[in-house]
Order: sequence, then C-alpha cells, then structure tokens
Amino acid sequence: MIKITLKPSSITIQIELPKISIDQGLCTGCGICGEVCPFGIPQSNSNGKFEIVEPERCTECSACKRNCPAMAVLLQERKGCGCLWDARARSKNPQGDSCCG
Amino acid sequence: MRKLEQEPDTYDEKFTALTKGVNIKVKDWIIEQIGTSNSILEVGCGTGVLAANMALKGNEVIAIDRNFQMINTAMKNYPTEKEVKLTYQIGTVTEMPGEESSKDIIVSTFMLSELRPFEQQIFLRNAWKKLKQNGKLIIGAEFVPSGFWKIVFGIKRWWYKKKLRRLRLPSTSRVKWFTNYLEPIGFKIVVKEKWKHGSIQALELEKVVKSAENEPGYYRPAPRRFKGFKGQMQIYKCIFTGQADHIPIEPGIYQSGQPDERSPVIATANYLYTYIRVMRALKGVDAWVLCVDSRGINVWCAARGDDFGNKQLIEAVETSGIEKVTTRKTLILPQLSAGGVAAPLISSEAPNFPFNLLYGPVWAKDLPQFLKDRPAKKPDKWKLARFTSSHRLRAFITHTTFLLRKIFLWPTIGLLVLLSVLSFIHPFWISKFWRIGEIWLWIILTNALIMLLFPLSNFTRCFVKKGIFFGILNTMLLGGITWLLHSSLYLIFWNACFYFWLAFFFTMSFSGYTMATSPGEIQEEYPTFRKIHLPLLIIGVILMLSGIILF
Repeated sequence: MIKITLKPSSITIQIELPKISIDQGLCTGCGICGEVCPFGIPQSNSNGKFEIVEPERCTECSACKRNCPAMAVLLQERKGCGCLWDARARSKNPQGDSCCG
Repeated sequence: MRKLEQEPDTYDEKFTALTKGVNIKVKDWIIEQIGTSNSILEVGCGTGVLAANMALKGNEVIAIDRNFQMINTAMKNYPTEKEVKLTYQIGTVTEMPGEESSKDIIVSTFMLSELRPFEQQIFLRNAWKKLKQNGKLIIGAEFVPSGFWKIVFGIKRWWYKKKLRRLRLPSTSRVKWFTNYLEPIGFKIVVKEKWKHGSIQALELEKVVKSAENEPGYYRPAPRRFKGFKGQMQIYKCIFTGQADHIPIEPGIYQSGQPDERSPVIATANYLYTYIRVMRALKGVDAWVLCVDSRGINVWCAARGDDFGNKQLIEAVETSGIEKVTTRKTLILPQLSAGGVAAPLISSEAPNFPFNLLYGPVWAKDLPQFLKDRPAKKPDKWKLARFTSSHRLRAFITHTTFLLRKIFLWPTIGLLVLLSVLSFIHPFWISKFWRIGEIWLWIILTNALIMLLFPLSNFTRCFVKKGIFFGILNTMLLGGITWLLHSSLYLIFWNACFYFWLAFFFTMSFSGYTMATSPGEIQEEYPTFRKIHLPLLIIGVILMLSGIILF
C-alpha cells in the first residue's frame, strides 16, 4: 500500500509493505515454508511456487524466512514473542531478554 | 557476579565482601596445592591475582578470561618484582589455548556458576583434552550445600536473584549437577575442601584415561520419570506456574523405550512440561530424545527468544555425543522450533554437524504417527497450531495463577493488613474482609470470560479493541454478579470502571497465549494500551475502594 500525503510545505510518501511476502523470482517451490508455518499462510500457487495468503495473520516468527533455502521470504525479523509483558520489557529495554516460561 | 564484572577496578574488593573473604582462602589453598615449574592454564582469571601468584611461585602460566576489561585490569597488575612466565589472553571454555595433552594443571575459580550445564561439560571435556596424563584440574566454586544449609543457601540465592532481576542483569546459575559430570567425562576427585558449610568448595580433580581412543567421555543425565502420580503433579506444577517460572531439566540424551542405533532421534526443549509431554506421547516407541538447553523454556517461546536456535542445537549435539549412539542421519525437531533454528545455515555454522534436520509435527501427540508415516508433506492437522478449547483451558489456569501471584498478591496482602489494623480501631471493618475474596472471584471470573468467549473477539486482530470488547462484556457479567450478591445499583456504579479495567488489562496480558498477534503488532499497540490502561486503573481503584468504604 502506498500513501501519499500532500502538505503545503512538503510531500510525504509512506510505503507500507505487507508484513511478509515471498519473492516469486527466488522461490523454487520446495515448500519448506509451508511445512514450518504454524498458520498455513504460505500456499502453493498455479506457477508451482509459494505465495503468502492473508499476510496479516503472520506472527513474525520468521520460521519460513530462516528455513527458506533460497532466501526468498521477505520479512522484517523482530525479536519477542507477541505478548504484553514482552512488549512492556522491550519498550523499557529494547535489547532485553525474553520474558516467558 | 556479572554485576561486579562490569567494574573491573573494584571487582576484587566487592567480590571479597560478597564471599566474606572466603575467595582469598580458596586462592591461598590453591597456591598451596600447586607445586613449582608446572605448565598451568587458568580459565576465567578475572583481575589476575591468582595467576600472578602462581607465576611468582615459578610456574609457567597462561591465564584467559572472556572479558576484555578484566584482561586489561590484570595486565595493569602484572607482577614486576621478579621475572615471571605469565601470559594473559582472551579466551573462553570453548576456545582454550595450548596443544592437547600439554598442561600439568588447569585452574578455575568462581567461574562454574557463570556456565550453563552444557558449557560446564564442554569446559570439562576441553580441560581433559588439554591436560597431560594424570594432569590436575583444580576448581573453586559456589556449590549447593547439603542438609540444613541447603535451605539457608536457597534463601540467599533467591534474594540475590530478586535483586539482580530488578537491575535487569542475568544472575549466575546454581552448580547443581556438576559433580555428576566428573566420572563419565573422565575425572576423579582427589581432594575436596569446603568453606561456609559447603556452599563454597574447592576440588582437585585428576584426569583419568578410560578408553583406548584417548577421548573424554560423554555425560548422560539419569533417566527421569514422567509417568504416574509424580509426573502428573509435575504437569500441574508447570500449568500452575507456567508464565512466571522456567522449570529446566538437565539437558542431554534421554531414552524412550529401548532405543538402538536404528531408532529415530528427536530433539526438544528442556522445559519439564515439554519433556513430560514428549515422553508420554512417545509411549511404546523406541527413540532417542535430545533435550537442548532452552533454559527451561517451552519450544515456541524459546525459539522466539534466542533460547532454542542453531547455537543451542549445535551445542547439544556436540556435548551430548548423540551421533555416537545412532547411525541415523536425520534429527527430528519440533515444528515450532523453526522460528529459532535455521536449517540452511547449520552446515556453515557447524561444518561437522552430523545430522540433517527435519521438522516434525507441531504437537508431541502426533509424533508416533509422524514417525511411522514420515510424510514428505505433513497434513494440516500436524502443522497448524490452533488455539483450541483445551489450550484455552490450560492458558486460563496458567494466566490466572500468574496474575494472582505477580500482580494481585502484594495488593491483597496490603489490603488485608490495612483492614486488620482498621478492624482493631473499629469493628465496622470486620465485615469488609469478604470484599477481598470478592475481588479474587472477579479476577477468576474475568479470566474465565476471556477464555470462554475468546473466539468471539476474532472480528479484530487489535488487542486494544479486543480488550474494550471484553471490558464491556465483563462490566455486564460482574455487574450481574454484584447485583446477585449485594442487590445494590450504587455499588455496581462504583465498581464498573474496575470491572472494565480488569478485562481490558487481562485481555492484553492474555495475548501471548493466543498466537493471534505478533511482536510488531503488540509493540505498536503498547503505547495506546498504556494511555488507556493507566487512567482506567487509577480511577477504577479509587472508585472501587470508595465503594468498599461506602457500601
């Protein structure tokens, strides 16, 4: 999604990429991403390659990215586990430890 | 000790104060034990006091420390009074300098508690390799004493741990299992000296060569029971303490059934709950189970927090010697560890890694069928993580106990004390004790509401919105309960804000269990959450307390 905001003094272009996507040029269709994703978001398409369906359901666990042999998964890796206490710890100390047991 | 390490100049002074001078006694004892003209390696030399003294006694000393600043400080204190053979350099237990079988003595003081269990084993194995035949390893460290003093020690450790937690520093680990490693790896205790009721000990160990191939042995933890009453109690313990406590078991190789060299090899985390679930799921299957050191954290959280990744996997495979017991070339990992493990990188990070990695099912219960079928592509039921009602029920128990322990315990104690004092002054307050019980009932009911109706909130991924949704529902629910108990509309009015806050806050806190959000999303929501949460909490508590006074 691209947002363009026009203000009297400046133009701001905000490019919002989806959380996660697969580079169709690099994907070899091996299917590892589909095997490791616990939410079944990568799905094979008609070209025999994999693409991300419903990227908003991604929890950024980076399993697909880490295990893709072709490095075709585009994802901003984030540390943390997606819980309030982790977010709280990280807002105080971004380099901190994980919180959970 | 890590706290002291940050300031090398005052390290010795503060550490002596911490051990009440015992560290000096330990060092004097070690100086007595070593002779002259030996080739000595000191691991974890700190400010170099011991290394300098050993060198002054006429020994050739190489002293290493992983901390650059410590080496710097040690260099400043380099002995000048006479010519010595002393070298300082940066090094760790995994990278010790020197040829194999070249050292007469290896010394280490107060370092063991800085090492995790596998690192202690690596240290012992590497020291074994560097020592000559019948060479000595002298260790001074903090140990867990036995009998009555174990309790005293436990309390002290708990206190230090709390203190370090506040300072956000990692604390040292207890040296629990160390003495078990000695014999299997190839050391025997020659002399043992104790101070402070055994909470500080020095051991003189001798290298023992057992096998013909001149290699140190491998340690394997004792089999751990997972069946029966005790196992069930441990399951409950984990469910009740889950979010707050890590419960590690010894990392290493465990056996399911009677595995042989053709049996599958399965890796998992060393959280007690994980271990029991995996072992129970494997009932009737012969397999090797390798518990990596995830610091007692479950697979999913450990993988996302750098506690279950390539580093831990490589360490576990190398230290346990798992490739010696199997001819299999495939290591089966839990699917949820994929967020930490990067299979394509393993061969570059550990060129001699003996296994190919294969991701098994998400849940341990599907392992036996997975091992039988070995499908090239897993069916959906083995690879999708759903937040089912049984997961929700367990999450409800864990989350409720977590909140009661970590958030509401001290306010409750405070209220009890306050009410007790007030009751002495005037008997009017005695009847108000019930209201504390009522607050605990609200906490449990709010959690139950979120657990039961969580799927209804799937209309949004935003937890702040989910929180508001449950806040409204909860105000109605608890309002109804209050009406049943007190038949007072005024009281409902005074409490409403608190009811709303409870559900709003609990929903946010529940987010970690749901697998329905991501670190990015929740970190973005956090500032908004705070803006709503703090005023709600303050107003809610003031109104609720006024309600207690008035009604």
